[in-house]
Amino acid sequence: MPLYLPIAELSMNVFLVIGMGWIVGFLSGMFGVGGGFLMTPLLIFVGVPPTVAVATQSNQITAASVTGALAHWRRQGVDVKMGLVLIAGGAVGSYFGAQLFTFLRSLGQVDLMISLAYVLFLGSVGGLMFWESVRAIWRTHRGYVPPPIPREDRHKAWIHALPFKMRFRKSRLYISVLLPLAIGMFVGVLAAIMGVGGGFVMVPAMIYLLGMPTNVVIGTSLFQIIFVTALTTIFHSVNTQTVDIFLAILLLIGGVAGAQIGARIGLKMKGEMLRALLAGLVLVVCFRMGYELVAEPEELYSVYDVKTPIVEAAP
Amino acid sequence: MRHLLQLVVLWFAFASSVTALETDLSSHKIEIRYSFKGAELILFGAVGHFDGDIEGDFDVVVVVRGPNTAAVVRQKARINGIWINDEQVTFPEAPGYYAVAASRPVNDIAASEILAEQGIGFDNLTLDVVADEGLKGSIPSFREALYRIREKAGLYRQEKDMVAMRGEELFRTDVRLPANVPVGSFLVDAFIFQEGQVLAKNRVELVVDKEGFERAAYTFAHAYPFLYGLTAVLIALGVGWIVGVVGKK
Repeated sequence: MPLYLPIAELSMNVFLVIGMGWIVGFLSGMFGVGGGFLMTPLLIFVGVPPTVAVATQSNQITAASVTGALAHWRRQGVDVKMGLVLIAGGAVGSYFGAQLFTFLRSLGQVDLMISLAYVLFLGSVGGLMFWESVRAIWRTHRGYVPPPIPREDRHKAWIHALPFKMRFRKSRLYISVLLPLAIGMFVGVLAAIMGVGGGFVMVPAMIYLLGMPTNVVIGTSLFQIIFVTALTTIFHSVNTQTVDIFLAILLLIGGVAGAQIGARIGLKMKGEMLRALLAGLVLVVCFRMGYELVAEPEELYSVYDVKTPIVEAAP
Repeated sequence: MRHLLQLVVLWFAFASSVTALETDLSSHKIEIRYSFKGAELILFGAVGHFDGDIEGDFDVVVVVRGPNTAAVVRQKARINGIWINDEQVTFPEAPGYYAVAASRPVNDIAASEILAEQGIGFDNLTLDVVADEGLKGSIPSFREALYRIREKAGLYRQEKDMVAMRGEELFRTDVRLPANVPVGSFLVDAFIFQEGQVLAKNRVELVVDKEGFERAAYTFAHAYPFLYGLTAVLIALGVGWIVGVVGKK
């Protein structure tokens, strides 16, 4: 059943779109990730223009994050104060990210930037995660238990030296506000240029840099993602008019159904096993994007229509 | 006396060249709606003479031209091991859709100068070019890339569609518009050729536009981008919240 998408300006099979939403929803439910890093490349792969894929994906992540954040909220798993600081940083980052996106689009280099960002971030995060989980699997196999790190030693000296300290009761932290602001800002840039929530960067940063307790990390990151992707959606709508609501809704329908089943299966699997699988998946996407960059393309040329902005509907 | 004779001959020659051509489309307005996956139209034509039937064999060429828009053609080059968009050429007035259908190969119908005069065929699309100074690639290669890519997308067609004759004076051809057809007004020109010369021309217009919901969404997104973005966000928040509340039970 074809459906014409008015913003993407192409006709897509409804079941294909819902199916893609389902698969990505399933994987994100299973691994507990947003899935933006899977969906954006998948959309580009099936022919959606990269600009539309990135902008539309932000919109879809907003919805998925609301659902996730609600569940964590009920479990008291959201540090609102920390979340607000991260959002403040994220808003600034998202604004500049969207500006960069618009600028590179006019130069014809936005596709390159998307690919490079994916290769760089997925490669490093996937590589680290893979290494960490393989080591964990190996250690469980051997029966090795790592010694617990004392709470006082969680921060490096330079983090304590930063000014503007603030107390975050829920996270039981007293640290400089600059650090979460910077993390939020960085994630905001990624959200705008990659069409991701940025959880894959924010969650490790919250654990290892901020030293937040794990029970509030996911909820707080989802809380931040809601607002940052919402802002990103608005920035992209205003700058490039590339948000396709219909595409987002179809992906959501599939995603919601897939996530429920994925989450159930994820509960039955071991943590380090899941992380190893997720790392493998991240690396596959990274290699796929990387291959496109280095392999000689079949068609060296590309054509872009320059749309004259319309102010009013044609009579 | 000789002058008079010449004049008479000329008059007859002129009169006999007054060939009437009428064409019409099966539809003058194509509406892009949610289920749009391209459209196929039929162009009908009738050829006649002011004093009866057309004499001798004739050829028909039909040219469909979509709205002109600026198209940027970019060429990738390997820089530091990765393929990057390098040089670019802009065609400010490239037709968004262009199709030629003919009763036989156009090069058999008329000489290339005549075809060029009438703008028939890709090679005779006179496209303005805007290129950066010091362009290394050749402009024809960018132009060919434009034709090749648009041909692949079904937006440019030639040597594919036949004009079929129906009896002595009637002909028809299909006009195929792909799903990614640009919106705007289209010009459908029909030409009657005889012995390599244009005998008659006729033009009909066609409008392609997004309609209903698709038009509303497109206009909304472009005319009120902030409100559109806000709506998209509110929908996402609403859907996420509903799923979260329902999923809990």
